[in-house]
Amino acid sequence: MKKIVSPILGVLLAVSLMLTGCGSQSATSPSAPQAEKTLIEGRGGDSVSLDPANVTDGESLRVTENIFDTLVAYKPNNTEIIPSLATEWKASPDGKEWTFTLQDGVKFHDGTDFNADAVVFNFQRWMDKSNPYHTGGDFDYFQSMFGGFKGDKGCVIADVKALDKTHVQFSLTVPQAPFLANVAMTAFAIASPDAIKKYGDKFGQNPVGTGPFVFKEWKPNDSITVVKNKNFWQKGLPKLDKLIFRVIPDNTARLTALQSGELDLMDGLNPSDAATVKGNSKLQLVTRPSMNVGYLSFNTTKPPFDNVKVRQALSMAVNKKGLVDAFYNGMALPAKNALPPSVWGYNDAVKDYEYNLDAAKKLLAEAGYPNGFETDFWAMPVARQYMPQPQKIAESIQADFAKIGVKTKIVSMEWATYLKKTKNGEHPMALLGWTGDNGDPDNFLYVLLDKDNANPPAASNISLYKNDKVHELLFKAQITPDIQVRTDLYKQAQLLIHDDAPMVPLVHSTPLLASASYVKGFIAHPTGTERFTEVSIEK
Amino acid sequence: MALASTQTVSKYIPTHWYDGWKRLRKQKTAIVGLSIILFFIVAGLLAPLLAPGHWDGQNLAVRLQPPSAQHWFGTDDLGRDLLTRVLYGARISLWVGFFAVAGSIVLGSILGLSAGYFGKWIDTLISRIFDIMLAFPSILLAIAIVTILGPSLVNALIAIAIINIPTYGRLIRSKVLSIKEEEYIAAAKVIGMGHTRIILRHILPNSVAPIIVQGTLGIATAVLEAAALGFLGLGAQPPQPEWGKMIADSRQYITTAYWTVLFPGLAIMLTVLGFNMFGDGLRDALDPKMKQ
Repeated sequence: MKKIVSPILGVLLAVSLMLTGCGSQSATSPSAPQAEKTLIEGRGGDSVSLDPANVTDGESLRVTENIFDTLVAYKPNNTEIIPSLATEWKASPDGKEWTFTLQDGVKFHDGTDFNADAVVFNFQRWMDKSNPYHTGGDFDYFQSMFGGFKGDKGCVIADVKALDKTHVQFSLTVPQAPFLANVAMTAFAIASPDAIKKYGDKFGQNPVGTGPFVFKEWKPNDSITVVKNKNFWQKGLPKLDKLIFRVIPDNTARLTALQSGELDLMDGLNPSDAATVKGNSKLQLVTRPSMNVGYLSFNTTKPPFDNVKVRQALSMAVNKKGLVDAFYNGMALPAKNALPPSVWGYNDAVKDYEYNLDAAKKLLAEAGYPNGFETDFWAMPVARQYMPQPQKIAESIQADFAKIGVKTKIVSMEWATYLKKTKNGEHPMALLGWTGDNGDPDNFLYVLLDKDNANPPAASNISLYKNDKVHELLFKAQITPDIQVRTDLYKQAQLLIHDDAPMVPLVHSTPLLASASYVKGFIAHPTGTERFTEVSIEK
Repeated sequence: MALASTQTVSKYIPTHWYDGWKRLRKQKTAIVGLSIILFFIVAGLLAPLLAPGHWDGQNLAVRLQPPSAQHWFGTDDLGRDLLTRVLYGARISLWVGFFAVAGSIVLGSILGLSAGYFGKWIDTLISRIFDIMLAFPSILLAIAIVTILGPSLVNALIAIAIINIPTYGRLIRSKVLSIKEEEYIAAAKVIGMGHTRIILRHILPNSVAPIIVQGTLGIATAVLEAAALGFLGLGAQPPQPEWGKMIADSRQYITTAYWTVLFPGLAIMLTVLGFNMFGDGLRDALDPKMKQ
């Protein structure tokens, strides 16, 4: 027993030492006129990089959201567009030219001016592969949201021009319907050109933006500290002096840290712990509006998953209702589409594969596998908002698959490696998920299931699913301004995708967070990244 | 008194073994330990008959049920019967324990015998390798080996076997060093007996007693190490019912569903306790100084 317990004790001890260490540090910090208002948020994993254009994971964007600003932004609780660095915007009648009017007098954290040239510099950096500052990563989001880089056939942005100090004009090759929603994404934040020139591919460790908080320190796998931007363009904000993002991988350990006052706010509460939080008067439960999907992807290029009947048979062998009840405490909906019902364009007419092991076995036999087969089953090593317990979910699905003769071995690896290898299509079958960035169906269906995004090593469509008809529909929806027509196109696409079963959509979860009751003004955003501008601590 | 009965048994059984058994029988703790071990062996062997369900019989509708008439040990977070899993877990833990120790003993003995008997550079080489291996914390070395081989139960067994080689190797080497100086070994050499024969017929049988004691205690350590590796996700893979893995999988429910952690934990504790008690008793019984 001793040896079994010791790892847990060790971790707890390490965590508590870490926390006490930092606690004393802030207490003794010099020359604070009043008590410094510091908020510590606990989360499951560390950021990959703090260069927003070069990351796709929520743990990185959660931080950059508070350091940078985008041209336009979302409302705090939904994905409606509001002004940010741009105060006004206008599209030409054909939808191919967009002009943004920028705020005057905003400064980057390094003291340089924000202006139209800075916007152009950033877009050139992202879109032009030959740009000397196109470094630090693969610019995945630019590629998947704007159809590729400059010179690529599908690239939507033809040119970006500064008309004068406060006006920027975008010329598009096609009238991209979700253009404005895309520009508002946390990933397309405007960074200081001087800082990018200075740090080059190390910009991700030295982020400089115009946002409410200034980057101060990053201790890998421990914490990221940002401090109040005294010259923030929203006068009087932010209300906090300091914001710390701390990594505590285990959901239960993180709750313990919140209960003991070592954290003020935590992301990723286990649904089974919701009752504990509700029953504690010092804590409050925060729910994040659902805009995500957790799914099981089949690699459609690898046998036997290249056979549609095999994929359909396995789809019938997943007990989604059971998963929701067991691992989400009911805080999730069983999924039948990759698109969540909270986003417009959702096709409710799709009839889900019924959980029926006999029918699944029969279909598997028809596909030529009467005795099943053996395969690896990849599962994420870390809890995600759309899947708080991926290993357990994998084990549960594994048992059902075994009943129809499909013997699986659960494989897991370090998170960054997992993402890299799935993007490279190395898995036969893998769990993953997606949290929407901008509330447009394009951000789910095109990103996760279009053939444009099925190219290793940077496939966001990790099923490597390629269907020309689906592509036609999704592309048409992208360049059609009329929302009614778009809705119809997305509904058709969902029917085709359902029949091909490149993935099993498992659940749309309502992610849970918890905070100390003295934390005021915190609103969880459906995209999974939120600003702390209005958040305050009132003890 | 002892003399008369010994002669009637068989001349091939060394007298001190029989003496040992008689002394062992008198030690209550050793017998209790042996009973616990036998209990788990029987439980493991008869698991298919004793267990109320299938060890991977998942039923999400009855997850995290407390112990009841239907599920004596309750159910885990996937609705599997814990009694069934603990019973089948005995197979895994004992299997890993026995074979890991057997592997260490075989390899450790070969190396220890060679080092002790031949001496010189062979001894230096082997002893330094042992020193190097003992310089690592053993579980760290096991983790490293499993990481190289890939996580699985068999690889965990191999890793545990490797990390324990020096323990047995050193023990046997020191024993060989003293036996080698005995007159009967000199006599064997004088009459022209070969090295292999001397080692196998004279040195090995006389140095085996401490190895048996150490081996019994070693099984306890091996069971713990297997559980630790399982706990870290490096040993048994789901859905195998390995005790350490069961604890790791259930540790988040420790406040809400204690039984998911309690019963596998108790099983590990009792098994380890059994081997430790038996091993201690065996040491006392086989110690020549205790001879009457």
